[in-house]
Amino acid sequence: MKIGEILNKLACPRRIPKIFSVVLGLFLLIGLITPIALNNDQVYPRPAPQEQMLAGDSIAPYDRGGEILKSPGITKAQYPNNSKSLGMVNSYMSPIADGVRNASPYFGTSIYSSPGGLIDEILYYTRGFDTILESTILMMSFIIASWIGINFTMRRKDDVDEVKLEEND
Amino acid sequence: MAIELVPQFVPDIFLSWYAPAVYTGFIVAFIGLMGIAIAKKDIHILILTDIVGLSMLVVVGATGTDLAEALILPGLVVELAEIMAISEILVSREMRKNNGSSSLLPLPIVSDMEIMTTAPNFLSLVLIGYGVFLTGFTGGAVAGAGILLYIFSKKSRGLPVLVIDGIGAVSGLAWCLWIVGFLLFFIAPEYWLLSLFMAACGLLLKVASKLGLIGTLMREEYKRE
Amino acid sequence: MIKMDITTLGGSLFGTIPLGDIVLYVTPFHLFMFATVIVFTCLIAISRTETQIEAKFKSLGNNAVSVGLAEFKIRRFLSIVCGLATAGAMITGDFFNFILFVALIGIVNIGIVSAVKQVDVLDAAFQYGLGAMISSLPLFSAGAMMLAATGTLSLFELANIATITPMMIFSAVLFLIGVAGETGIAPFFATKAEMFRTPGSPFLLIIHLSSLFITIRAIEIILIILT
Repeated sequence: MKIGEILNKLACPRRIPKIFSVVLGLFLLIGLITPIALNNDQVYPRPAPQEQMLAGDSIAPYDRGGEILKSPGITKAQYPNNSKSLGMVNSYMSPIADGVRNASPYFGTSIYSSPGGLIDEILYYTRGFDTILESTILMMSFIIASWIGINFTMRRKDDVDEVKLEEND
Repeated sequence: MAIELVPQFVPDIFLSWYAPAVYTGFIVAFIGLMGIAIAKKDIHILILTDIVGLSMLVVVGATGTDLAEALILPGLVVELAEIMAISEILVSREMRKNNGSSSLLPLPIVSDMEIMTTAPNFLSLVLIGYGVFLTGFTGGAVAGAGILLYIFSKKSRGLPVLVIDGIGAVSGLAWCLWIVGFLLFFIAPEYWLLSLFMAACGLLLKVASKLGLIGTLMREEYKRE
Repeated sequence: MIKMDITTLGGSLFGTIPLGDIVLYVTPFHLFMFATVIVFTCLIAISRTETQIEAKFKSLGNNAVSVGLAEFKIRRFLSIVCGLATAGAMITGDFFNFILFVALIGIVNIGIVSAVKQVDVLDAAFQYGLGAMISSLPLFSAGAMMLAATGTLSLFELANIATITPMMIFSAVLFLIGVAGETGIAPFFATKAEMFRTPGSPFLLIIHLSSLFITIRAIEIILIILT
């Protein structure tokens, strides 16, 4: 095939996602023969699966130590010096969550989603800038989608009669 | 109890599971990518990209640390955000091609089920209450699902554009609340509790109102006869 | 082989902005790119759109293709966000943070052209969006595999790693493929080139400028990690 033909094929927008996916797919096959191993010296390590559950911990998979408002939990951050009150968010639990913990041993995952806990510490504090960007991405896509929706897709302006009819009944 | 809460190094079980998990992700992604390469219709390609996005979550999750769990959330949100914006562009393009005669849903759907009129109040209250307890992204998603269910089953077609804009404005203000909370974390570390609640409630309001907005937008097309 | 760290390409380190684990850093190189993008963003914020004049077929009249006020506002807003995101990506010192900046730029680029009336341009934007969605696989996987291989995401730490494993090279190339797809450079340029065929010139230029700067920064990051 001549170079000119290849360039012409590349110039068609409809082909671009397909060409890109073929290139990427072939490259992923190289990944199957590359030696892959997990480095065991990671930041924010977690215990082995089921370890805390079998030990009967009431906030089972997400217990990282510490006392509420008193002592920080265990947080192995990249730069501990940059976060002055490191670990306090980790050990915090809201009063409702604390009540749930004492009442039942089965709500570990719900408690960790409520304010406080290690994931909140990573998402809001040590890597909070990532979450800012992530929520910005979400906001931008909502702005785009709702703008198109309101101004074009829904065709609200042509719909005045229909809208009024529904308001009346 | 003499177990160690957090180990110094990653447990062996994650080390031995890492390679199989990543290979699984690659194989799933490869299947999805080849599907994109041979698919003919745009809508099929759009759906297949979701498979590729899911395999990305497998690769990210394979690391098996708390950090990986935190990194899954951005990946999930980026996928959700992009698929929403792009599908709206696809709808808009198809409508412009046909001079605005085609609709979001090709066939008008009328669903007169009893559950759509009796259950929503209770179910939405439960979902919103649970979402407020959870707070943050997960709470926002759960509470938003409650709002969505309510709007979806109640008759609310014909909301003024001002209301839709207002929901968007609430979301933007909540976003600002979260930014202020984030800055407070570093300016005044001793007020971490205040910052935590500003961040958590800001994200809850933001995500919940955005999901509610999807509900309103969809509601406009749904039940159009 | 010379061991590169963040100051080899960038020049002397002026200072850092620590935000927890994510540390932004400023060197002459990054400061220059940051300032350029900010200046361009300011120019965009105060400018108005062009109007394209098309000659009518079979007559002597002209047809002006202009941008309406609502469309103008949303485009200006998205362009400013795109400019700020590009500026932020220039000074970030975290691998995953950079990836999120690239993802943000990708979605905003789609948004800038999503409001147009031309079907061809909408089609190009849709195809570009598909490419951007697929690119989230190589981008985020590269971030996660770099974390798995080295145990860190900070560029300061990644620069100091002595032994380069095949897995790190693999994830760096994966990252490059992701950036190529998301910004629409060399072999995947067609969608982005088609997106320009619409009125509203100064805002469309930020699409182009952001991909140039992101490509430069991505190559710098790969050099920091791999050498």
